[in-house]
Amino acid sequence: MTTYTIPVGPLHVALEEPMYFKVEVTGETIASVDINAGHVHRGVEYLTMQRNFYQNITLTERLCSLCSNSHPTTYCTALEAIAGIRIPERARYLRVIADEIKRVASNLFNVAIMAHIIGFDSLFMHVMETREVAQDVKETIFGNRMDLGANRIGGVRYDLDAKNQDYLSQQMERMKADLAEIVDIYRNNSMIALRTVGVGVLPHDKALEYAVVGPVARGSGVAYDVRSKAPYAAYDRLDVPVVTETGGDVRARALVRLREVQVAIDLIQQCLRDMPDGPIAIGGLPRIPAGEAIAKSEAPRGELIYYLRTDGSDKPERLKWRVPSYMNWDALHVMMEGNRISDIPLIVNSIDPCISCTER
Amino acid sequence: MKDQLGSFIGRLQPGWTVECSTDGYGVTVGWCVLETAGDLLPVAAAVKQAGGRLSTITAYQPKDANATVREIAYHFDMDGDTLTVTVRLPRLGAEIDSLTPLFRNADWNEREFMELYDIQVRNHPDPRRLFVDATVDPAILDRLIPFSTMVNSASTKTLWERIMAKTGGEQ
Repeated sequence: MTTYTIPVGPLHVALEEPMYFKVEVTGETIASVDINAGHVHRGVEYLTMQRNFYQNITLTERLCSLCSNSHPTTYCTALEAIAGIRIPERARYLRVIADEIKRVASNLFNVAIMAHIIGFDSLFMHVMETREVAQDVKETIFGNRMDLGANRIGGVRYDLDAKNQDYLSQQMERMKADLAEIVDIYRNNSMIALRTVGVGVLPHDKALEYAVVGPVARGSGVAYDVRSKAPYAAYDRLDVPVVTETGGDVRARALVRLREVQVAIDLIQQCLRDMPDGPIAIGGLPRIPAGEAIAKSEAPRGELIYYLRTDGSDKPERLKWRVPSYMNWDALHVMMEGNRISDIPLIVNSIDPCISCTER
Repeated sequence: MKDQLGSFIGRLQPGWTVECSTDGYGVTVGWCVLETAGDLLPVAAAVKQAGGRLSTITAYQPKDANATVREIAYHFDMDGDTLTVTVRLPRLGAEIDSLTPLFRNADWNEREFMELYDIQVRNHPDPRRLFVDATVDPAILDRLIPFSTMVNSASTKTLWERIMAKTGGEQ
């Protein structure tokens, strides 16, 4: 049978951001994939070394839209580690709440797009309508539907009064019934199963070999979640179940994301129950001494790691971060081979790729 | 400290040292500096045997333009703890072995620092550009590029002169 090379991207209807795939196909079957990146490389990492520590809180939040809060949270955690700052108890819980609200919106967006790719547009709208509750929460509490502006060095920049706590609790409760229905559809609907079960499989051993993280790893049975392996903020005080599926396919990754939305809602409710009164940040602008630190967090797409080195000035000597998508791209080689051309958009979407994050 | 980092520390060879600190959450970070670049592969092999995973690699530009030494930091996840192995290399003509035989995900990390800095990776399986276009000079972050060169001598004055020429105004 003749082999052809099909270009997919860099601009393509199934890709939200630009990435270029050269796909070798034999008939309808994918033989191999070559990934070409670099279309939105902005040199942001270099730019952070020309900005002071405070300016970088704003800059890191703009690396990405869907996981925008994970970046400044992790960056501030690294600064606090170098400066020996212990953030107030209440701020720890508020950081969890901000991160988990973002996770709800991010994960639901990805699984909604999956339904859209399949052509199940009523489901797409149902999931997006449910996600809209999280968007409303962000707009009400943070004044913004995407970048929350929640972090500062030594704590957070927002607080929840009694009225907002009640509102947040009610909104989380409101999502539960819809979510249960959505999870049931993704797990049991025959049309979803036909397009996603056994598609884009990443076996457990390959997940380990490719060092994938987040829902991609957990969908292949790798039980690694930074929130339980290396706790930060208030996660050490919360009950954080690690969600795994064993299928390793497109549906398994979607189910992990959906179940993690349910966990996120539970975590927000735990925070509202347990959060103590008190200050939300240390006072003043702390001086950052020379030093180096590692900070990690579980972003919606998986482990985010920051390495920060300082020299006593007000700018980073070196700031490096690696986003979860970085390794997950490479695993597409395994996921795609042997699958059909028509499944390419579904498989790419199933790693919930973030190109802005990857290329920086 | 979790078992994986402890297991790695149990495999330390003469000349390798690790300084550790544990935060209030019980998460440990370890720092290891290698003066001999040839030690990188044996150290990485010991990390792998201990169950570690390569998280990322940080190469950086020495701040001092006259520095004779540069560093690359390899960050390994050890079941939640993190081990950072820093390798010291000559500032000019730096070469380092690829970690891809041990950690497949070193591939993109090494391609990225090869294109940004003046560092060559020995035995890399696919040493193509990763993000930066092939038309851009290599080791771009190691170069001092005058602003006038970067913008090809084009300035707002030049632009204004063109506009005025087109619209027939005085220059």
